[in-house]
Amino acid sequence: MAASSLPSDYSNEISALNREILKAQPADTLQFCANFFLRRLESQRAEFLLSQQHSSPKGRGMAESTFPGNNPFGTSPSGGFASGGMHRLQEEDENDTVASPTASTFAQADMDRAHASSAGEDTFGNFAGFGGPGKNRAAPPSAIGPVDPQSFPSNYNLNRRTSVSAESLNPASSLNDNWSPPYHKKSSDQQSRLKAAVSGNFLFSHLDDEQSAQVLGALQEKPIPTKGIKVIQQGDVGDYFYVVENGNFDIFVNKSGKLEPGPDGLGQKVGSVGPGGSFGELALMYNAPRAATVASTEQSTLWALDRVTFRRILMDSAFQRRRMYEGFLEEVPLLSSLTPYERSKIADALETKKYPAGTTIINEGDVGESFYILESGDAEVYKRGVDKAVKRYQKGDYFGELALLNDAPRAASVVSTSEVKVATLGKNGFQRLLGPVEGIMRRNDPSKASASDDIDAVDPLAKGA
Amino acid sequence: MAAVVHKVSEKLFHHGSQGNREDHSASAHDRQDSGVERAREEEKRALMQWEEHKRPLSPGQVHSDPERKMVGHSSNVLRQEDFELVKTLGTGTFARVWLVRLSNPRQGDENKVFALKILRKVDVIRLKQVEHVRNERNVLAAVAGHPFITTMVASFQSLDSLYMLLDYCPGGEVFSYLRRARRFNEPTSQLYAAEIVLILEFLHEHEGVAYRDLKPENILIDAEGHLKLVDFGFAKKVDNRETYTLCGTPEYLAPEVIRNTGHGTAVDWWAFGILVYEFLVGQPPFWDQNPMKIYEQIVEGRVRFPSAMSPDARDLISGLCTVDTSKRLGNIQGGAQTVKNHPWFRNIDWNALYNRKVNGPIVPHLRGPADTRNFDEYEPESEKREAYTKELSNEWDDYFKDF
Repeated sequence: MAASSLPSDYSNEISALNREILKAQPADTLQFCANFFLRRLESQRAEFLLSQQHSSPKGRGMAESTFPGNNPFGTSPSGGFASGGMHRLQEEDENDTVASPTASTFAQADMDRAHASSAGEDTFGNFAGFGGPGKNRAAPPSAIGPVDPQSFPSNYNLNRRTSVSAESLNPASSLNDNWSPPYHKKSSDQQSRLKAAVSGNFLFSHLDDEQSAQVLGALQEKPIPTKGIKVIQQGDVGDYFYVVENGNFDIFVNKSGKLEPGPDGLGQKVGSVGPGGSFGELALMYNAPRAATVASTEQSTLWALDRVTFRRILMDSAFQRRRMYEGFLEEVPLLSSLTPYERSKIADALETKKYPAGTTIINEGDVGESFYILESGDAEVYKRGVDKAVKRYQKGDYFGELALLNDAPRAASVVSTSEVKVATLGKNGFQRLLGPVEGIMRRNDPSKASASDDIDAVDPLAKGA
Repeated sequence: MAAVVHKVSEKLFHHGSQGNREDHSASAHDRQDSGVERAREEEKRALMQWEEHKRPLSPGQVHSDPERKMVGHSSNVLRQEDFELVKTLGTGTFARVWLVRLSNPRQGDENKVFALKILRKVDVIRLKQVEHVRNERNVLAAVAGHPFITTMVASFQSLDSLYMLLDYCPGGEVFSYLRRARRFNEPTSQLYAAEIVLILEFLHEHEGVAYRDLKPENILIDAEGHLKLVDFGFAKKVDNRETYTLCGTPEYLAPEVIRNTGHGTAVDWWAFGILVYEFLVGQPPFWDQNPMKIYEQIVEGRVRFPSAMSPDARDLISGLCTVDTSKRLGNIQGGAQTVKNHPWFRNIDWNALYNRKVNGPIVPHLRGPADTRNFDEYEPESEKREAYTKELSNEWDDYFKDF
């Protein structure tokens, strides 16, 4: 076989390999060659993929035949992943492109950085940092089985993701059975310690004052009489979240994924948690197996909160607030023709705001942007030139709704006389959800249509009607 | 067109109202009720003919009464023994999906296959999924015939199990293709995303259904390279009421689901944004080994984009993955149409796409209609099974009576 009859691509690769061999003088020649070709393959594939990304050709996308070299989808055995080359590509690709996109190392230029993994001395040096001592690196391509998440620098788990689901919560029945959250009395010291303990947790930081009070009230004291008590066990179902009042706990993780019997069954100690700390918060979301075992190291006290109570407090208050808003909205003549669906969308979008007594919520003469429903507290209406309040507002009253319709200046000022809570929505928000309010008003008052022809031109609802 | 379908449907699945649900006790089986047997044979024959009549129904046709459609009805004559279980296609915590063919196929029917999803009643009850399973069956019945949603041909039950007979998608999961390719290029992502938009538009605006578990694992590729959405275990008819039960897949959960403030169809648009991101990047935007950290990122809602991502794609994903539902694309005025009008989809011919006139970007290589090479191997079914006791049956069978 004359060299001239060999494909030039092949000759180029072989001479590149020759140069590498001369330079590196490897002890294990065969392994070195295998590594070399793997690296070449992944670099070529990566370039191809990137070029695909940038050029985005018209027509056929990722059809099999557009891939150079062998077919990435065709020859895979039933159930297995594609060729080893593809895997190597994935790994390298991961290495210098997307780490966790939210991680701080996720540089702007990452995606563009070429796959410049040209001849390094140690072929797999790139990967030394991940996946242990590189035992799967040296494996021939055919032996690379289903993706090993350990080998991915970003640690992104490439396996199928399991769906999760919590207990079904049904607010309709909660109205009938009149559920109220459990309340466990605490000293004000305890209360504020608890508040501080959960303040860093995003599940609690979004709560309003009432929800927060209910949740803190529902935390139940749980004495841990001695050391060595396993409060939660790795692999068990999780129903409770715990806050440490006093004492101390060690956290253990067994690599097997669950607590094993025997002296080493706890696995490795990975940390400890003391007063003000907390653990087991995933149990507030759904029933997932515990990721660690937590055991007391001395006599201690915990506060415990179970998922159903927590989620039910959140649900009930959200449910009640939505129904209250919908009820209020029904009373606003300007919005009387909203369908229940539209009302629920607006109720969902209403934002709660709190003002201390004496706040001017809207100011006469200003351009109106938002409309308000008074959720609690009292307010008074003042007009310029009139000494006394011309009107009083209480729970359920609304004001400023004309701002949804036009940009006319506010006709009066509204000042809170006590601490008030209002639900508010801007004109922009309203229009984003339902379009211009003119069209909605016109639904039950066709006479309005003729009165304002100029509105028709911008009103999409006018056409379909 | 609709009239033709209905006529065929009456001919194929005429089961009328005379059939009380078959008594499942052994003695009833022994009695060899000839009427039931005849209906059963007729129904099996009808199943074999279904394939030839398969074509996309218009949204209005899909929406018609399930009992009048050719597909999606509850059968009171079919039994598990009518099917030969060939291979497991997938497993869940309380369900297993099998590739099946008729047990005693006539000549020419040997290669006509289905996917049969089998749920053990006792597991469904133990995992508190009774409501979800009922929702799944009812939603699938209602949407059968949509070009990009798995078609439930029929459902039936036995003493201890529930069955959903589905069309078989030989291409396997989009998930497998995506993981193998690492990420999809823009045209492929656009086409797949567009088919998903058509699904969500239909589910939300025609059916009032929130799907609630969008992810590449739940999207299959059919023989022609088009998508089929499967696993409606969390789908729920919500209409204009919000719902509260947390369900979905961690990386795809919408912020309002995590915060339990009530959620609706808008969660699917959020998840759709995550899906498009995962198509283009190869992994979802919010991830951490600790699920609580994922949720923290989600409620914060700051998506970071690789610099190579096109501005249109970024704009679309940002619009969809917006924490404030009153600003979320798809949920704002105009609904799905606003998504369809987005510049990222400017090359999509929506009408041609719905009618499957656009070529699928990846057409699976298949030896035949029953080829399972695109599905992974699964562990065999565990032998030990909890019994569906008389007590359980007395307590729960009422909940399953319409299955």
